[in-house]
Amino acid sequence: MSSTLQTAADGHGETLEPEDVNFGKATGGKVAMWMFIAQDGMSFGGLLFAYGVLRSSAQEWPIPAEVLGIGLTAVATFLLICSSLSMVFAVLAAQERNQAALVRWLGVTIAGGATFLGIQAYEYYHLVHNGVGFITSSHNGESINNLFGTTFYAVTGFHGLHVLSGVIYLTIIFRGAQKGKYTQGGTSYSPVELVGLFWHFVDLVWILVFTFIYLL
Amino acid sequence: MENHQTPTANPHHSAHPVEHQSHRAEYITIFLILTFLTGVEVFVPDVYSAVWSGHTKMLLLCILAFVKAGLVFMYFMHMKNEAKWVRWIGYTPIYMGMAVIIIMLETSYR
Repeated sequence: MSSTLQTAADGHGETLEPEDVNFGKATGGKVAMWMFIAQDGMSFGGLLFAYGVLRSSAQEWPIPAEVLGIGLTAVATFLLICSSLSMVFAVLAAQERNQAALVRWLGVTIAGGATFLGIQAYEYYHLVHNGVGFITSSHNGESINNLFGTTFYAVTGFHGLHVLSGVIYLTIIFRGAQKGKYTQGGTSYSPVELVGLFWHFVDLVWILVFTFIYLL
Repeated sequence: MENHQTPTANPHHSAHPVEHQSHRAEYITIFLILTFLTGVEVFVPDVYSAVWSGHTKMLLLCILAFVKAGLVFMYFMHMKNEAKWVRWIGYTPIYMGMAVIIIMLETSYR
């Protein structure tokens, strides 16, 4: 490494990059997205950690499945898995420089995310109607641990915001795909890969949220 | 495996058509496994109350969730083909998962 730097410092013509074994192994955009995902994962971890402490130290805690219901949420989970599949197909389409397929798969992914949000809004409406609020909670007219609603809305709400920002992010990429920005060859597909990383992360977090908030 | 990361200047669609087809097959396989495991997850709470203890249910659901999350991480997020130092960035939030495991262990053996 020192010899390379010396060559550059000697000023014999061209400037040389310092030798770095990691150079070129991942684009700056990908490293940045992964660092964002890692810190975002920590945020979700913090919320789930707080939920775990509050629940395990509570006097009584309802069985989540009885209050929340599992069926509709299982459908929503399946939807997110489907939209993850359409997302990887979109990345492949961009790499193959197939603009029509790219636009189609991105459209399917956006539709999946938007439907997930719709299901969540429906679920929230019914839960609030049945007494599960952010501050106080009740089920079938009997009051339950208030922290049940607080932790539920805090965790699923934070995740829902991620789905919403994912849908907006995907829509921006969708517009770019329509203009043919990501099917030029070379590394032009890169923004599609990055939005894909974010979208899969949202799916990955939901897998954990579904288990810890709904099933356990 | 790495080749699809750097498409050549080939102006035609799909510089590596065969490789991309094998990627599609892999993605569909992962999708089917995820769907199946989700089905198992929904089924577990119904069965456990009759047959298994609460601890078994907790253990089963946690294993299922981490297997599913791992599949998404390795295959959909391409961490399987990524340089090791990039993968380590992605591993860091596992620390929070360990905290959750400690909570559940303490609760189980209180």
